[in-house]
Amino acid sequence: MAFQMTRRSFLQASATAALTTALSGWLASGAKAQSGFVKKPFTAPGSFGNTTTVTGGICEMCFWRCQLVGKLRDGKLVKLEGNPKSVDNGASLCARGNAGVKLLYDQDRLKFPLKNVGKRGAPVWKKISWDEALDECAARLQGVIKNNGPQGIAIFPHGASATYPMHYFEHVVGTPNNSEASFFQCRGPRDIAYINTFGVEAGESVDMPNAKAILLIGTHIGENIHVSQVKQYLKGLENGAKLIVVDPRFSASAAKADIWVQIKPGTDSAFLLAIMNYLVKKGAYDKAYVQKNGEGFDKFAKAIAHAELEWAAKICDVSAAQIKEVADLLAKSAPHVSVHPGRHVTWYGNDFQRERALACLTGLLGAIGVKGGFVKAKGPKLGKVAWPDIGVEHAEQFALHKMAEKHKFSPPGTPTEMLRNTAISGKPYSIKACVIWGQNPIQTIPGQQETIKMLQQMDFVLVVDLMPTDITMYADILLPELSYLERYDIVKTGVQWDFNDKHQQYIAPRMPLVSQVSADHQRKDSVWITNELAKRLGHAKHIPAPSAEAMVDKILAAANLTLAQIKKEDGIHLQPGSNPYGAVYPIKFFNEDLAEAGYSGAPNYTPVPEPPQGFARLVYGRVPVHTFNRTMNNVWLNAEIPENPIWLSEETAHKLGLKSGDKVNLVNQDGVVSANAVTLKVTQGIRKDTIFTAHGYGTKNPAMTNAVNKGFDEQSLITNPAVDPETGAHGMRTSFVRIMKDGKILNIPS
Amino acid sequence: MSQYGMVIDLNRCVGCHACSVACRAEWDVPVGVDSSKRKQRRNWVERLGPDATPHGLAATYYVGLCNHCDNPVCVESCPADKVSATFSDPKTGLKKTVSVAATWKDPFNGTVQIDKERCIGCGACADSCPYTARYVIEESGTPKADKCTLCVERTAVGLEPACVHTCLASARIYGDLNDKKTEIAQYVGKGAIRLESAKVKIGPNVRYYGNKKDISLLTKNSTPEKMAEINHRRIFMARMLRPSLKAFNSNSLIGLLGTIATEKGDNA
Repeated sequence: MAFQMTRRSFLQASATAALTTALSGWLASGAKAQSGFVKKPFTAPGSFGNTTTVTGGICEMCFWRCQLVGKLRDGKLVKLEGNPKSVDNGASLCARGNAGVKLLYDQDRLKFPLKNVGKRGAPVWKKISWDEALDECAARLQGVIKNNGPQGIAIFPHGASATYPMHYFEHVVGTPNNSEASFFQCRGPRDIAYINTFGVEAGESVDMPNAKAILLIGTHIGENIHVSQVKQYLKGLENGAKLIVVDPRFSASAAKADIWVQIKPGTDSAFLLAIMNYLVKKGAYDKAYVQKNGEGFDKFAKAIAHAELEWAAKICDVSAAQIKEVADLLAKSAPHVSVHPGRHVTWYGNDFQRERALACLTGLLGAIGVKGGFVKAKGPKLGKVAWPDIGVEHAEQFALHKMAEKHKFSPPGTPTEMLRNTAISGKPYSIKACVIWGQNPIQTIPGQQETIKMLQQMDFVLVVDLMPTDITMYADILLPELSYLERYDIVKTGVQWDFNDKHQQYIAPRMPLVSQVSADHQRKDSVWITNELAKRLGHAKHIPAPSAEAMVDKILAAANLTLAQIKKEDGIHLQPGSNPYGAVYPIKFFNEDLAEAGYSGAPNYTPVPEPPQGFARLVYGRVPVHTFNRTMNNVWLNAEIPENPIWLSEETAHKLGLKSGDKVNLVNQDGVVSANAVTLKVTQGIRKDTIFTAHGYGTKNPAMTNAVNKGFDEQSLITNPAVDPETGAHGMRTSFVRIMKDGKILNIPS
Repeated sequence: MSQYGMVIDLNRCVGCHACSVACRAEWDVPVGVDSSKRKQRRNWVERLGPDATPHGLAATYYVGLCNHCDNPVCVESCPADKVSATFSDPKTGLKKTVSVAATWKDPFNGTVQIDKERCIGCGACADSCPYTARYVIEESGTPKADKCTLCVERTAVGLEPACVHTCLASARIYGDLNDKKTEIAQYVGKGAIRLESAKVKIGPNVRYYGNKKDISLLTKNSTPEKMAEINHRRIFMARMLRPSLKAFNSNSLIGLLGTIATEKGDNA
């Protein structure tokens, strides 16, 4: 158990405890004296009396990783709060962060290693020992390696705990078949596009507090909550930034916008090209910056010259005047413009080029390294714990996209669609084992039936997770992990959230807030599990860290720090930072590498298929209280937003005789019906050709007793995903749907 | 006298629900509904819209909690035996003794509180609240009314209310509405509104600040239009059935809470 308590917090806690004790002591004696009766304490004690404060927590209810303190009473976590020492989230947490307590003590959490003695998809679980589980995993993985080579193992990782095993399978075992949801179903096209424009990853590196204008394309801050980013956004608005939101739906951000562009889904790139062409033709761009740092500007200008305002207006179904209004506002606000790169960007299969357009627009506005622009602060330097690269050469030879000479700008790993097709077809080679770590591919990857086919043809499926998500039903062996509140893990680094504040860097290793040991479970951390597998697969000598704690200490050593030291510093080490402004990046307006590889060297717009007659496009987003499916079983979060309503335009609803509150299903173009009827939300805040819902609902596994059958799983309807040609990432806003009410299918009027 | 309350700045609020979850964690509020189908929550976030308003399309949030009203009907409706209670003012040290049932409005800080020990769990207060800010906790087998205390227990030891503490948007402004120097009083000066209607005018001390369209959407959707009917039969039954406790005089019990506040006041 790691109780990191400072002198100050100790004094605080004990003062509070003394006061509370005095109060309840007095109450008891007072009650006795007056009535001869000791009353039951009906008043909840709160988190501040008789608790100890433990520091060093790093949240992982999502992946922003806010810094936490825990309030413990009798060894039990009663509350989580932001670490007051944090220069990132500060004392604040979002709803999910606050609800971490209920993940920790969720009765449905996986507790013991389990073996499936039933079928994949219809499991019957037998509790087994860690030794039995690990021996069987090793033997069956070894069998696949022997028969099919290391490339016969596919891995599906997600989250901090999956990094260590992921590197083991890639670098030591030697498989290229790594499908990271955070790349291929999320951020991949964004970061690769920015790397191929500025030479650096995009992140969400925009200095919103100092912006004069903020441009959000589909980003719905408010429904998407990352604490320090929301703080930056609100600070910008408070400081007078004009907010432009481009979204087919009146999102939480659109509700705060100065300009809402109600764009037709799939056409964002046309919108961006028209703005850029307008700025270029008008000469309303940062000529000095472009001349000094731009590459291929003339070719770029020529390539987008066709993108007139009227051309885009027609495609995007918005007025040319509004596109011009946006362009003029951006030009007027330049260079202090936050062109937000987005986060989940795998929408239509033309996403890499849209992200390239965002980067080029940033460059045109000279909005780089300046107040309000694209600014990457310099974070602290740390060490690394790495598995040796003994398997990398083999992995490279079997990388599917390289063998097929496709997706030449893929993020690291193998594009999911290729991996899955290969597993199903056995061509060009067999993929017969699957290691799924913290990811729920049933709900992260479009084309569920294909995913299930892939799983069913495997010789072995290993799943490691905290909760019995839908994917766990397909495991042969299912291993229970420790949560982020019980383990040592990654080291979170960064700088203060507002660049106007004192420049500071922080280093915050994840440390357990509560004991790892309890009689009611046998959970283990991923470093231990991976090491035990590695030993059994003959890789003992390559193990880079004997334990998670040792791993973190090794990472910290490069910064002359230790866990012991950071414990003394309340879980966060602060050190002086530097001025984040002034960076200059070369901007590849026209990228010759892309052109040579056969892609468009300048950002372009590729039209996407239109909804067939009678259908609307299904788009999805977030609700602020959930992180995909990961948080759905959390009793507090579930209570806040228990299901995902379907947003339908008022005009359409009137025509179909539907009203808010009706229970409806969706049916997609392939006849797939959503599993559970949900509440209809009729609103003027969505286009007629678009239907919206929130992602992650509709859990099917009955072992998730709070979440099961609450809302519907929109991923089940995405049976026709697109694939981004440059990156191989999925496009998932591709499904077309009709409404079904009381078993009757209703056509969406055009 | 002080009147503590809260302003919700809808220009800042992003509707993240952190406040309602932090409150649940702080006070261990059960999840669900009570036997009268009242939602069990001390504070809540309801998404409103997108919907048309006279000022344009709007979407905002009804961020609710107990209003600690000027004229709390819940206090009037409490059928528990009255006892004499002494309150003290942390600022002046003044003392005041009044007769209170199991729920009362503090004469010095203006908050509405419940004595859980004397509450008979009849739910009359919850029935009477036009803002649905009260409910009954029945999980222990001994029903007790529950609601937001404005975290007087936390503020007494120098902490912010749990919802304010966690709010990442700084959208919840807590303080004394009667002290003109406070940020909250300045919000009232800027026009923060109360959710009141012709029939519901009991002086709620939670106010809302925002642009015209958001305020329009909020007032249209979330203003209570009528006072609740109190179910006298149920109150009668509850009184009949309650454990035959001898009501004990909590004279200085409430005074002690006041004393804690005094200590805080002196330190601050």
